[in-house]
Amino acid sequence: MSTLIYTLLLFPLFGSLIIFTMPKNRSELFRPIALFVSMIPFGLCLYLFTNTKSKGSYIDIDTINWIQSYGINLTFGISGMSLLLLFLTAILTLLSFFSVTEKYSQSKGFIGSILVLHFAVNGVFLSGDLLSLFIFFEALLIPMYFLMGIWGGENKRYATIKFIIYTVFGSVFIFIGTVYAGVISYSSTGRLALDFITLSSISFTAEQSKTLFLLFTFGFLIKVPIFPLHTWLPDAHVEAPTAGSILLAGVLLKVGAYGILRVSIPFFTEGFIEYKFIIAVLSVIGIIYGAIVAIAQIDIKRLIAYSSVSHMGFVMLGISAGNYLSLEGAIIQMVNHGLTTGALFMLVGFIYERRHTRRISDFGGLKISMPKYAAIFLFCSFASIGLPGLNGFVGEFMILMGSYSTYKLLSGFAAFGVVLAAIYMLWAYQRMFTGEISISENQELKDLDTKEMISVVPLAVLMLFIGIYPSFVESYVAQDALVISNLIELFNGGLN
Amino acid sequence: MSTIGDIIGFNLIVIGPTLVLVATALLLLFCTITIETSVFIKQSITLMGILATIFTVFLKFGLFFTDGVSSYFSEKILLDEFSLFGNVLISLILLFNFTSIWNTSAEVKDKTTEAIILTLMSASGFMLMIDAENFMMLFIGLEIGSISLYALAGINRGDLLSNEAALKYFLLGSLASCVLVYGVALIYISLSISGFYDTAIAISYIGPPNVPLTTFIGFLLLVVGLLFKVAAAPFQSWAPDVYQGSPTGYVGYMASVAKVASFLVLCRLCVVSLRFVIDNFDLFFVVVVIASIFIGSFFATVQSDLKRLIAYSGVIQSGFILSGIVSGVNGTSASIFYMTAYVIQLIGIFIIFTVISGRLSSNFSIENISGLFVENKFLTICFSIFMLGLAGIPLTSGFISKFILITNLWSYESYLLVVILMLSTVAGFYFYLRPIWIAAIEKSESPVEKITLSRSHVLSLSVLAFATIYFGLLPNSLINISRWVIQNYL
Repeated sequence: MSTLIYTLLLFPLFGSLIIFTMPKNRSELFRPIALFVSMIPFGLCLYLFTNTKSKGSYIDIDTINWIQSYGINLTFGISGMSLLLLFLTAILTLLSFFSVTEKYSQSKGFIGSILVLHFAVNGVFLSGDLLSLFIFFEALLIPMYFLMGIWGGENKRYATIKFIIYTVFGSVFIFIGTVYAGVISYSSTGRLALDFITLSSISFTAEQSKTLFLLFTFGFLIKVPIFPLHTWLPDAHVEAPTAGSILLAGVLLKVGAYGILRVSIPFFTEGFIEYKFIIAVLSVIGIIYGAIVAIAQIDIKRLIAYSSVSHMGFVMLGISAGNYLSLEGAIIQMVNHGLTTGALFMLVGFIYERRHTRRISDFGGLKISMPKYAAIFLFCSFASIGLPGLNGFVGEFMILMGSYSTYKLLSGFAAFGVVLAAIYMLWAYQRMFTGEISISENQELKDLDTKEMISVVPLAVLMLFIGIYPSFVESYVAQDALVISNLIELFNGGLN
Repeated sequence: MSTIGDIIGFNLIVIGPTLVLVATALLLLFCTITIETSVFIKQSITLMGILATIFTVFLKFGLFFTDGVSSYFSEKILLDEFSLFGNVLISLILLFNFTSIWNTSAEVKDKTTEAIILTLMSASGFMLMIDAENFMMLFIGLEIGSISLYALAGINRGDLLSNEAALKYFLLGSLASCVLVYGVALIYISLSISGFYDTAIAISYIGPPNVPLTTFIGFLLLVVGLLFKVAAAPFQSWAPDVYQGSPTGYVGYMASVAKVASFLVLCRLCVVSLRFVIDNFDLFFVVVVIASIFIGSFFATVQSDLKRLIAYSGVIQSGFILSGIVSGVNGTSASIFYMTAYVIQLIGIFIIFTVISGRLSSNFSIENISGLFVENKFLTICFSIFMLGLAGIPLTSGFISKFILITNLWSYESYLLVVILMLSTVAGFYFYLRPIWIAAIEKSESPVEKITLSRSHVLSLSVLAFATIYFGLLPNSLINISRWVIQNYL
């Protein structure tokens, strides 16, 4: 199993090295190589789905003795939740290689950076200790910096710096938390043991637990992002190139929520119980605020970016409610949001390549000239809204059901988020796709070609699959959700 | 029957590196003033000299493994882990700066050999400074090293900035030397001794509470003199001007060699001489560290000149290194790791600056470098690695050094310092990433001519960049070395 994990982790990096060392004049080969390279992690994830171990909660797979004199090890492990997120990363990377245009696919730096990003994200989801989690969490920034910096939009400099500074500011707290946890574990185990198994066996005092929870959660919440720390997100999404947005929304936002589920709650449960209500309130504000701001957007990419704030609010509400059902819902919603928003950003990228504008008012009546595109866009919008039978419904329903038992009033407010989602998505759809074609340039737009269909249809199929057969996904997150909710219950009982 | 040589501990191997460097410098001087010698021969002599220095360092290792820690020349010269480590580091600094120094010397007309002679002389001084067992020897070494550096800063006599740099460096540097030597005098007045080990023994003998105030003031002044050399705030005011004004090819050497020597002496001072009374200096060091972080971060953020930016970043890094030195022996070993990693990145950056200095006609304002590396992928990658290393991003040695240092600080319970140091890294991401952006991402408006790299530059840049990544991925070897240096004091 350890060979498998290392292949999953290192193969994208290996691929990026191949791309970087290739001669410039063979640029037509970059896309096939990238597709092949990203096919391997995708295949490995599919294989892992069949492994019975992957349905369980977190298990260590392998440990590397990294810095002997301090006793620091790097541990790698896997659980059902990380497997789902790894799969999400793999499929989004693979499909974004399909979807990018020639301009991007013939650039070494672009393809290479995405593969490095793939490597770093895999590292986050596979890491089994705080130090490697932090390392990969920060290493994400390097490829994102170049992706946004070189291939970004007009205002890229501002957006990139803002994104970097926000994330680094958050990760400083994660770093201090890691050091603090390391020093505590040193005093009880005699070495700087930061792996998850050791940490779960250390009993932190209430004071330590609260401090550590705050340190870690603050850093992760910036990445989620939660209101009012979300302001980097719209800028970053709008300025990033399409593939960058897909991965940013689809995967990088999950890194924050994943960190909270993997580190903050299990190890510092007392802190979580202390502060969960604040997180819940902020999440609900984020749900409503994100949705209302999304209604007012005139740029379709910005609209989807704000919808992410709203959807990630649902995820955080589910996490903060902290019972089995809501946690399951939150993890499933993470996957859902990755698929749906990834697909929506991809679709926006397609229309941007054709018209070089993203203003909603520049479109209108597109379903006459691009019927296939309109159909898929409507399908993804429905998934995003949470129409029963599609994936969004499953996640949001479970979150609302679960959180109702903990926060009755808050989940009532959160339910309005679903209504508001219908308003912003459908209104945007109405303005862009229905009616007569008023602008002549929209008359002769090409509909989606085969390459574009191949890159977006798999996501739509998955949305439908999760929508009608949610127990498949649920079976992979069940153990993780159970372990976390049991811990929370245990501490709740202990405190009362 | 032991000879007089045995009694005073006469041993040429111990001062071998210093002797070889001086001999090389004298040979070059001889060649310049007597026979017409081609540049190639002079370069070969220099290179042979540096290699011979490295060889004598090996001989010193041999001596150390047979004799252990021991002092020579009537307890003036010390052979211990610090001195060996410092010798190795300074020889490597010389080796890696060799090409830059020669390249720049070729541009400074008529003084081609002068610069290299001064470089070798200063290296010999700093070697002596690290080897010193006695505060007077320390002062002599420091002066031999520093005076050559003052001259090196001002070697470009036609350039006003270079003149300004040299004068500023000389005046402030001499003041610092005065402070240092006054400190040595005060220590000698109060304790009647001036050795590293002797003072420790004396302090433990009279008992830390009974140590006279003059001793403390003496040590304080000694430390201030050294802090000036490493450009820790509030003694940093010379650094930006000197970095900016001096010929670019020499700055990498000047900055790194003085830092390495002074920091190693500070380490030895803290773990040996002051080991029983180091707590009395806590407040002073904390103030210096915090001042360095704040002043460095603030000015680096608003800097528009690249060399000044690196100077202020050096102030911050000095704060980091100093914070480790004063927090216990483990912290000192973390600082040694940090310093080594930092020096590698610093030299790398200045090699790149030397390469591009011809294109910029010595104007290192940040707009001037826009689009400079877009065409040259190798320079972009190296520059990014060094800058990201300075910022401390994971997978580079900068991250490991920060992690070890912060962990030690936390276990030493300096929580305030941890928070301040970490917050400074956020500012660091702003000003370290900005040059990468401008040089590597932004397209230049005017066409830039292609930069061609000489083979030796490519080689040294590759080695330094590789070291930055290597110590970030597999830091074990360097950590073990840095722990070996302090092993006697654990």
